[in-house]
Amino acid sequence: MAVCVSVFHKCRRLPSTLLNLRPLVLSLNAQSTRTFCSTNALAARKYTEQHEWVDVQGTIGTVGVTDYAQGALGDVVFAQLPEPDSELNQMDDCGALESVKAASELYSPVSGTVTEKNKDVEETPALINQSPYEKGWLFKIKLSKLEELDALLDEAGYENHLKNTGH
Amino acid sequence: MKIPPPSQNFHRSVSVWFVGFLQYQTAYRIQKYLANLHGMANSLNEGQSNDGTILIVEHAPVYTTGIRTSNDVESEGKKLKALGAEFYRTNRGGLTTFHGPGQLVVYPVLNLKNFNKSMKWYICKLEETIIQLCKSFGVEAGQSSNTGVWVKNEKLCAIGVHGSRYITTHGLALNVNNDLTWFSHIVPCGIPDKGVTSLSQVSGKQLTIANVINPFLESFSHEFECQIKMLPFKVREDIVNHLKKERLISSATEEQLLKNKAFISKQYS
Repeated sequence: MAVCVSVFHKCRRLPSTLLNLRPLVLSLNAQSTRTFCSTNALAARKYTEQHEWVDVQGTIGTVGVTDYAQGALGDVVFAQLPEPDSELNQMDDCGALESVKAASELYSPVSGTVTEKNKDVEETPALINQSPYEKGWLFKIKLSKLEELDALLDEAGYENHLKNTGH
Repeated sequence: MKIPPPSQNFHRSVSVWFVGFLQYQTAYRIQKYLANLHGMANSLNEGQSNDGTILIVEHAPVYTTGIRTSNDVESEGKKLKALGAEFYRTNRGGLTTFHGPGQLVVYPVLNLKNFNKSMKWYICKLEETIIQLCKSFGVEAGQSSNTGVWVKNEKLCAIGVHGSRYITTHGLALNVNNDLTWFSHIVPCGIPDKGVTSLSQVSGKQLTIANVINPFLESFSHEFECQIKMLPFKVREDIVNHLKKERLISSATEEQLLKNKAFISKQYS
């Protein structure tokens, strides 16, 4: 979501790559531009019942934990993230988040190969609490089975899951 | 303050197994077996009677460390083993701590799906259980910004847990009358300017684990709003057979695990 908004904010300077979109951009006001952008990003984000989210752009998914999860954990003091190049299957244990002397396991929402882990979060685990969907992303993974996304929950489904399971 | 006896109206029911003196790794294997049992029941949606099992143990001297291990953990381990203790890296939260004779070690393998699915809540409830337990011995203990239970600036009870798919492992260690000098070789839980103490020290009473187990279970039952019953013999037998099959226990330990009924009063049998 952060990437989307910042690109449109920069539109006033109109980098060359966006010049051909100029008429479309100028006809929208900033508010609706942001709304359009965030709806798009939310549509891309999927959730698991274990409170992980995955946001897929092309074949690369960015994975994190939800706002509900960071609240339930408490202040995160340590993030154990999967190493780049590790192969994961959907729902594999792939790390842990430690808070208040409790280590909670992380599960990969999709199968694939880890391409990057968030070193900022390793340095400053509190980013997970402060910004669970943006700066607090955990790792990126190149999906090997895009069809797995179909079985994950969308935002409405995840909100429903929180309501139904008595949170 | 008198802790009221556990209400039989609580709809949740947790089993308890006091295994007595047991090697650290064996106790962990039992936890894993129980965690698997409760986890599988969860995935099969067997909500009833899947609230959890509490394992109560006493360990020979052992140091353990959590997932946040430092780079020089190998040299730290060697140094601590040279003192005559065992040393293990674990997957729990928290840093380095010590377990030894005279310390009540409790491993609640709970299904948080049937309680409250928050680790923050769970840790808080464990702390409150110990605080209430201390009250029953005339000791005012409390929480602080550091996890655990404290009396002034000294730690009485350490807590470090792990959660996987809502099933908890590891747990707490309450100093009752253990030799506290073992803690001088580490920075307990990574907090350098605070000391450790024991229930015997702060209460001025000569207490042993035997004096503390039943008050602990009463307090747990009250805080977690659950009944507590002895773990059925059949389950204990299954666990022992599993450990035997994997060649993880000796026949002496097998006998101890199957026959040990120490210190649990009638109301929990």
